[in-house]
Amino acid sequence: MSAQTIPIPTAARQPPRSQQLLALIPGTLLLFAIGLAGKALESLGIYLRAHHHYFPRIEYVLWAIILGLLLSNLFTVPALFRPGIATYELWLKLGIVLVAAKFVFADVLHIGAMSLVLVAIELTLSLTVMTILGKIFRLPPKLTSLLAIGSSICGVTAIMAAQPAIDADEQDTTTAIAAILALGALALFTFPLVGHFLHMGQQSYGIWAGLAVDNTAEATVTGALYGDLAGRMAILAKTARSAFIGFVVLGYAVYWASQGQAARVERKALFLWQKFPKFILGFMAISILASLGFFSVGQLTSLGNLSKWAFLPAFAGVGLRTQLRDLVTQGWRPILVGVLGEIFIALITLGMVLAVYHHGAAQ
Amino acid sequence: MESPTPTRKLAFNVDAAAILIALTFAALIRLNIIHHINW
Repeated sequence: MSAQTIPIPTAARQPPRSQQLLALIPGTLLLFAIGLAGKALESLGIYLRAHHHYFPRIEYVLWAIILGLLLSNLFTVPALFRPGIATYELWLKLGIVLVAAKFVFADVLHIGAMSLVLVAIELTLSLTVMTILGKIFRLPPKLTSLLAIGSSICGVTAIMAAQPAIDADEQDTTTAIAAILALGALALFTFPLVGHFLHMGQQSYGIWAGLAVDNTAEATVTGALYGDLAGRMAILAKTARSAFIGFVVLGYAVYWASQGQAARVERKALFLWQKFPKFILGFMAISILASLGFFSVGQLTSLGNLSKWAFLPAFAGVGLRTQLRDLVTQGWRPILVGVLGEIFIALITLGMVLAVYHHGAAQ
Repeated sequence: MESPTPTRKLAFNVDAAAILIALTFAALIRLNIIHHINW
């Protein structure tokens, strides 16, 4: 999902909180400007096509990503904007918490529980395969661990959670993050094609995207590109997957500590709580309130629309933070291991989702 | 050297902020202080 690759400055060098918040404004405005431009282009396309003019049939989600990608890959985004661009993570999580208004809590439990079973299988297989691939291609062991954690659970967030826990070095972490982000960008464009080719339903496609795409942002976008319901299902499956982050990172921390290459984890329950993505609690709270009839139908619609507004800058952020040149600058072996691992994960999760939906277990 | 990945840590807890903002909007909408949000 999201990320913190720059070391936190020491307290002595930290500017005042008000100054830090002010520094967020330019980049935040840029995110909203790109998102709104994407929405405007979608509306322009609808208008022009209605008046018999040609305009590509592209939704605002993809416009926002394309504009962000063009801006960050063709030009150098000034440093002034960078702090604010990082707020895409806030908008993403806000959108996820608010979109829970569209879920009945019983469905969250039902689909979430089904996703948890699929996630458990996916985790076991993908961690094993990534570890084997890392050994075959002779990647540094800790880089292999980071790639395995990133590709099996929650992308960049999982890698950042694992870095201090397994005492990985900065270069391995940067390489793993770059590989996971670049591969996430590829998923945006390939998954919808596969979904349409296989005539997948909105629900099954969304669950697949949530299980297979690494970062929450990319998983949300990959789902939303297929449709509104697919986007929501991707969020639900991805959220279930993210819930595993603490357990997997703890497992690797214990392993590397047993090898004498990382500090021992003394308080495991506290470690699990610290690594748990807390926004999931907000998602569940809104879903419970909605299911208890706390909101009217019109109010639920407003909350759903508000989540779309929150996703708008988040989608722009996905484009802005994706550096396509990372595909070539990080060396071919981590990328190859990532690509092979991701293809395996995509196929295995596709097989599981198709099996579940083919047999009607998910209706 | 700055990371090639344009990601950085924010100065506040993102999860807590997202939940707080979401619950605030939910309350404002529930109390009809915000009547309708269009898309």
